Amino acid sequence: MNDAIHPLAKKAVIWHLALTALVLILMMIFGVIMLMNQGEMISITPQWFYKIMTAHGTGMVGIAALGGTAILWYFLSKYVKLNPAILIVNLVLFLTGVTMVLIAIFVFDFSDGWTFLYPLPAQSAKMYGAAGAVFFLAGMLILGIGFLLLYMYLAARLTAVYGSLGKALGWDIIFRGKKGYGPPAAVVATAMVIITNSTALLAGATVLAASLVNIINPAITIDPLLAKHLTYAFGHIFANCTIYMAVIAVYEVLSEYTKRPWKANKVFLIAWNCSTLFTLMIYTHHLLMDFAVPKWMLIIGQVFSYANGLPVMVVTAYGALMIVYRSRMKWDFASSLFFLSMFGWVAGAIPAIIDATIVVNHVMHNTKWVPGHFHTYMGMGVVAMIIGFMYYFNKTEGNQQHRGIDTFTITLYFAFFTGLVGSFLYAGGISAPRRWAEHLPQWVLSDQVGAVSGIFIVLAAIIFTARFFAGLRSVGTKVPYNKNSAAG
Amino acid sequence: MYQLIAMYATVFFVFLLALAFAFVYGESKRSGEYSAIQEKGYKIRKFYFLGLIAIMAFATIMTLGRLPYDRNQAEAEGFSEPKVVKVTGIQYAWEMSEERFEVGDKVQFDVTASDVTHGFGLYNEKMELVAQTQAMPEYTNTVYYTFEEPGTYQILCLEYCSTGHHVMVKEIVVEPEGGSSDE
Repeated sequence: MNDAIHPLAKKAVIWHLALTALVLILMMIFGVIMLMNQGEMISITPQWFYKIMTAHGTGMVGIAALGGTAILWYFLSKYVKLNPAILIVNLVLFLTGVTMVLIAIFVFDFSDGWTFLYPLPAQSAKMYGAAGAVFFLAGMLILGIGFLLLYMYLAARLTAVYGSLGKALGWDIIFRGKKGYGPPAAVVATAMVIITNSTALLAGATVLAASLVNIINPAITIDPLLAKHLTYAFGHIFANCTIYMAVIAVYEVLSEYTKRPWKANKVFLIAWNCSTLFTLMIYTHHLLMDFAVPKWMLIIGQVFSYANGLPVMVVTAYGALMIVYRSRMKWDFASSLFFLSMFGWVAGAIPAIIDATIVVNHVMHNTKWVPGHFHTYMGMGVVAMIIGFMYYFNKTEGNQQHRGIDTFTITLYFAFFTGLVGSFLYAGGISAPRRWAEHLPQWVLSDQVGAVSGIFIVLAAIIFTARFFAGLRSVGTKVPYNKNSAAG
Repeated sequence: MYQLIAMYATVFFVFLLALAFAFVYGESKRSGEYSAIQEKGYKIRKFYFLGLIAIMAFATIMTLGRLPYDRNQAEAEGFSEPKVVKVTGIQYAWEMSEERFEVGDKVQFDVTASDVTHGFGLYNEKMELVAQTQAMPEYTNTVYYTFEEPGTYQILCLEYCSTGHHVMVKEIVVEPEGGSSDE
């Protein structure tokens, strides 16, 4: 099917992107404030530091998921007819959840981090009052329910169109010897995200509900190690899935720009099935320092964390290089960002894989090495994909054109993002802990480098966003997406 | 040691990656027939894939024999009669059954927490992280460490445990072998 995206869904995509762009800037500013405080360039109280840290972590992952959802919905609409009401329901529940989270943090002083490790929320509730913890946990629950409804709907649609989620993942080609290509990449990626993120959200809902019950009635408890498993099964998979949603744009747009098909052959389908399986398993690398976890499970955490790098390194990123190679592709804002985003994703996977090695993790877990690697693939990967899509959307639905300032902004963003993640990784290398409001003198220089880099990243993000909003004015002046698109 | 290896390995592999992307960017200005590019690209990919598998297998074999919490490994390294130290994390302090050590002490830290999850991070005099584990309520995580250098070590909380997280620091003294230091 190649139906045009529903006009209402198109509006909802714009709302998603506009909200993503604005919140992104705010969250980046929060990040800079934290670095400036650690770098002794400004002084805020530890309480405010940890409140900002909680907002930054929750907000960044949430907003990456929102931007990723906009990308998924927009491109999937080319192949599967979708009811835009579901997308709007998700947005409304997202906003409701986010509002509750913000109330928790900035009205009721909740500051237990977006990891909210049990029984920390209950402990904080005793000290600072239950309202903050209850608002935060309930807000996260509502936000999660919105995404779960969305995935249930998408699962039903893919099942109706392709027969089952397995067929949408190409199982009949992998296992039954069916010849030819599998469904479009957007469908394969959506099926993967449905399976993995629904699992994540159910794990998250379980631990969120259990924590809420524990706060209301402390006699009802949960095993802390089980709670940690559930929290990271939720958090790690949810964060990973933002990439798997956003990468759909890379497949679609690079294919369109190069006029080369990016079809789901057997290797492609095997890679996505491996990603499905590994993404479900590798959250255990967050528990490599919990030696009470059975040894075999920790070894699995290391081995499969390694293996999870293979699909992206060998198939997706390599495929992007192959499709661009000698293609005479036009380099503009979108194509540049999608190409660079593949670099960012793989560049982030390298220190991530190294950190998943138990003996390395033993001396680098919870140092700044960890935000170093995930800022690489979130900031230079997912966020680059989302910003690239903002431009692509305006170009395809309107008449936005690449200008000199776009080249400047892309250079600014990636150059200083390299500085930021470099400062994080270096700080991790010299054992600077993460999530510390105040740093020792030997760690301060790396914080200052990070803060200055962050300021220029914010500047780039403001220019990106201004260009996006300016470009929106022309949206709607062109024919619907699929009628003038070369992709397919 | 592992920190340095991690940093150098990251720089090396990211540099190779950047070279690959820069090369393809340079070549993107030329044109070529895609089926021929695919045919050659898939051949190269086989070697690339096998190369990555080989690197990962090598790293796995080299590192899984050195698990920091492995009792058998510890015993092989002379931990058959270690000095057992009970450690409990509590917002925002570390309680320890023993606080003074000597160079050469082979210590088994049995780490737990009495309220929320904390992170037991052992730093040496140069403020390098030398060992860690999680301090979790209801569980005991055991980590082994041999003190090889005298000096003032510090235990920092490495798992976020609320607003006093960064003040949860405890100093411990490691004296030279066979006697107290002047420090």
